[in-house]
Amino acid sequence: MDPFLYLDRDTWVHRLDPRTKMLLLLGSFVLAFLYVNPLYGLGVLAVVLLFGASARVLINLRRIWFVLLMIGVMTTILWSIFGGGTTPLFWFVEREAFLYAVGAALRIDVMIIAGMIFLSTTRNEEIATGLVKLGIPYRFAFAVSTALRLVPTIAATGSTIGQAQRSRGLDLESGNIIQRVRKNTPLLIPVFVSTIRSTNVFSMALESKGFGASTKRTYFLRLAMKRQDALVLLVFVLLLAAAVALRMAGYGGLEGFSR
Amino acid sequence: MDNETHAAGREQPAVRVRDLTYRYRGQDKPALEGVSLDVTRGEFVVVMGPSGAGKSTLCVSLNGLVPHFFRGRIDGEVRINGRSTREGKVGEFAREVGLVFQDFEAQLFSTNVALEVAFGPENFSVEREEMVRRVEGVLGRVRLEGFEDRQPATLSGGQKQRLAIASVLAIEPRILCLDEPTTDLDPIGKLGVFEIAGELKDRDDVTLIVVEHETEETLDADRIVVLKDGMVIADRPAREVLRDVELLEEARIMPLQITRFFHEMGLWQGQLPLTPEEGLKELRQRGWRISPGRHRELVEKDAEREATYGGPIIEAEGLTHRYPNGVVALEDVSLTVRRDEFLAVLGQNGSGKTTLVKHFNGLLEPTGGSVRVDGEDTVSQGVRGLGQKVGYVFQNPDHQIFSDTVFDEVAFGPRVRELNEEDVKERVSEALAAVGLEGYEQEDPFVLTKGERQRVAVASVLAVRPEVLILDEPTTGLDYAEQRSMMDLVRRLNESGSTIIVVTHTMWVVAEYAHRAVVVKDGRVTLSGTVRDVFAREEELRDASLRPPHIVSMGNALGYTVLSVEEMIRVTGDK
Amino acid sequence: MVVLVALSAAIYAAVLIPFKGFTIIPGFTEVRPANVFPFVFGLLFGPAGAWGAAIGNLIGDFFGTLGPGSIAGFIGNFFLGFLPYKMWGSFFRRGENMEQNVNSGKKLAVYIAITILASAVCAVWIAWFNDLIGFVPFAALGAIITVNNAIAGVVLGPILLLVLYPRVKRWGLLWTEIMRPEEVSASRLQRLGNLLMWVGGLGGLIVGLIIGVGLYEQGLAAAGFTAGGQGGLGIGLGLIPFLILIVVASFMLGGREQVEAAEEEAETSQAS
Repeated sequence: MDPFLYLDRDTWVHRLDPRTKMLLLLGSFVLAFLYVNPLYGLGVLAVVLLFGASARVLINLRRIWFVLLMIGVMTTILWSIFGGGTTPLFWFVEREAFLYAVGAALRIDVMIIAGMIFLSTTRNEEIATGLVKLGIPYRFAFAVSTALRLVPTIAATGSTIGQAQRSRGLDLESGNIIQRVRKNTPLLIPVFVSTIRSTNVFSMALESKGFGASTKRTYFLRLAMKRQDALVLLVFVLLLAAAVALRMAGYGGLEGFSR
Repeated sequence: MDNETHAAGREQPAVRVRDLTYRYRGQDKPALEGVSLDVTRGEFVVVMGPSGAGKSTLCVSLNGLVPHFFRGRIDGEVRINGRSTREGKVGEFAREVGLVFQDFEAQLFSTNVALEVAFGPENFSVEREEMVRRVEGVLGRVRLEGFEDRQPATLSGGQKQRLAIASVLAIEPRILCLDEPTTDLDPIGKLGVFEIAGELKDRDDVTLIVVEHETEETLDADRIVVLKDGMVIADRPAREVLRDVELLEEARIMPLQITRFFHEMGLWQGQLPLTPEEGLKELRQRGWRISPGRHRELVEKDAEREATYGGPIIEAEGLTHRYPNGVVALEDVSLTVRRDEFLAVLGQNGSGKTTLVKHFNGLLEPTGGSVRVDGEDTVSQGVRGLGQKVGYVFQNPDHQIFSDTVFDEVAFGPRVRELNEEDVKERVSEALAAVGLEGYEQEDPFVLTKGERQRVAVASVLAVRPEVLILDEPTTGLDYAEQRSMMDLVRRLNESGSTIIVVTHTMWVVAEYAHRAVVVKDGRVTLSGTVRDVFAREEELRDASLRPPHIVSMGNALGYTVLSVEEMIRVTGDK
Repeated sequence: MVVLVALSAAIYAAVLIPFKGFTIIPGFTEVRPANVFPFVFGLLFGPAGAWGAAIGNLIGDFFGTLGPGSIAGFIGNFFLGFLPYKMWGSFFRRGENMEQNVNSGKKLAVYIAITILASAVCAVWIAWFNDLIGFVPFAALGAIITVNNAIAGVVLGPILLLVLYPRVKRWGLLWTEIMRPEEVSASRLQRLGNLLMWVGGLGGLIVGLIIGVGLYEQGLAAAGFTAGGQGGLGIGLGLIPFLILIVVASFMLGGREQVEAAEEEAETSQAS
């Protein structure tokens, strides 16, 4: 069973407090939206990738390459067609529009990659404990981390059940849309049944270990904002400030582009 | 602990059940009826009984899940260390009673072992330093020391179950209840769990209540409580119960083979030996010997049977399978399955036995070597084509069942192959008759018992009339009577012309039903031959983490390989 | 309950993720058959279904649609599950069978109505937010999300409910049987709440579309990527009253009547 995206490595990124990483993630969104010019967008992408590389989690990129590609291509096409510019490139596509399109694609992909890096460097328990430290009730945080944990389990069960049903002759490839949806019933029902049965046992096990017995609880995972976290956040804030200043000074925009 | 408290602890039973009657919500029939039971501190009690007897219900009654989680109707009471389970919440009782469920996969959820074990103490606001201490201590007790940073997903089944036990022990309950902890484990896994159970009992004065099917593991218990239809039908010292062969059979529990043998040979109950060692002593004392002539007859019968097999139907040559993540599951396996034979594929979990068998119906394709079914390569036939010739019954029937009625479920295979409705009906009746479920057509498969659901799964594969039938662990989770019934069905199918391949680690099933066996270890076939030949090689079996059944061991010690109690009776001299 | 939230979230996310590559508006929405789950889980699991929808959507976002808009996605999907949970009871009178199944014409009609309304409410939240911060025009996102949600809900929902309801009931997991009446808020002026939700949801959608379209030179179909900006302030402020209505209506719809009805059902069936 694949423990989702989390890759257990011992890097400085992994050792950061989850709250720091959440802030960095949100900060990366700001960075992403700062620049319109794809050249500057590439710069942002490089920063994010560098971060991911130092955490040694970029190998997870291969799991989402399809989405990144599809989004990249679709965004580029859409904005190229519907954007307007002054210098024609080819057909009715203008250069500014094309550049804007690439910039937009980069922007979206950067955010997704940042999100993936976050999930790859933070344990489910850290996410839960981090949320609790941010004020979210434990039960809710636990639901989130359990959901994260269950997704790959469901996928694995689906795969086993798929094998079982294919052995009986289930053919998922042929037929039109309606038929194919109906054919998924022999897949979905056992997945539901197995998953619900399993979560029922899980519920019982939780209660049997005292979950919910009292509103207070202690945490094995020690979360503390250490010097490292403060340093990283400081560096990032400076980076962001510099980026904003650059933008305000007029760089990173796109001349001649109109929607 | 001062003398006063110690004495008080001794007087009050750890668990006191009085006239417990419980009905699950929406059910008329009580799951438990008038059950009364006392367990004193430090005792090791085993609870046994057929499927549906109420054993699991009894377990969940001990920590308050009944009646607080399940919300049915409860009469009578359960007192844990004097406190009634009707008052208070489940979480509070978790301090006193640790409950470990059979399905260890569903219980584990953390990203590393330490966090999993610490979860319990966290719920009780234990100080962090104390938690760290407990985690280390408890992992030592379940033989997982040093595993703190491992991911639970990478552990073996036996290790996972021990982890589940550890996660409960960390709360330091004085009573530990294990509900069928070894059912899904292979022989090595089972051994591991029982060894720690034994150690716990000896070292820690923990009260241990274990629900078990396997009689071989209950020898260390103080007492055995037998449940049937929600009622206690026996509550006596362990050895006494184990010698009462008739009681065990009535309760659909498999009696110890040695005990049953001597019982059939006429010994008085009090004298019955329980283990192969005791059995050998008894044999020597009575001067009984095994007749070489009669043993030879058995061997000859095997050979006669082998001569009736047809030509090869499945051939694997140099079969190698490497998973995308690099793990080599199978390496250079060559084997031939002939028509009409009954083959058992043995090995511990993770040995590659299931991977091997999934090549036979095309679910997996070899990364090296080849597999041919009926002369043709499996890769060119594909899963759909092969599904017609090779039927595969998965271990968990709930991974297949999806219809509202048994009829529709069994009809799925034929319908997908576009047979007309009349033929479909015929096939369904035929299949249901073969598995003994005539008349069940309109039943909802989800309300049937596990044994019945398993048979529905078999029927739905049979309806396609495959020549070869592969069954993956067909007896797990069934009680003894259901196991016999299932295997008798499989034998009947074999006798009426199907080739059978069973993947299992239940050794007595292999001994009594299979003709040939293949042992898989670390992706390679290490032993192959008739079951009699394979089971004679005890050391190599042990090497593959397998143990032959007790009766076979006893025979081997005398130099003759015997496969069942009946055979032993037949070959033992003086009669 | 906690586990049911996680279960709903996980199933939703597990079916959302494989489809993230089939984008409609890259970075914002894609083909989503998984959208049937919030409706069904909201009906069956009540609050657990609503929170599960919100969390599940957020998890799914990490695989293709992550961004500031995810906040709105969280809120919008919450309502997708919340509405069926809360509104179901308001369509029935006391004493009528209000089990969350679709085994009658009336129930099917109610289900479809709620599905469409919930889709609109979800769309209003998400499209409003994204228009406000200048990412995607309201007209585009609003129309697409409503349709995307409603199709999955109307086409796939009834089948799923018919299959799941009896099983979930048998397993004792229906919210109406797990929760006690005291744990669920009572409805205040329920019929009014029902009406206000319609006004807030459909009204918000229609008004938003009108404002949004009015500022463009070309039509809706160009998915808003045409000349002319997003609705800007018009949408941002103009839709606030509708959002307020939605929130107010949420408080007015209770749900306690459904639990009480379930208790009565259980008593009558046990007596017989």
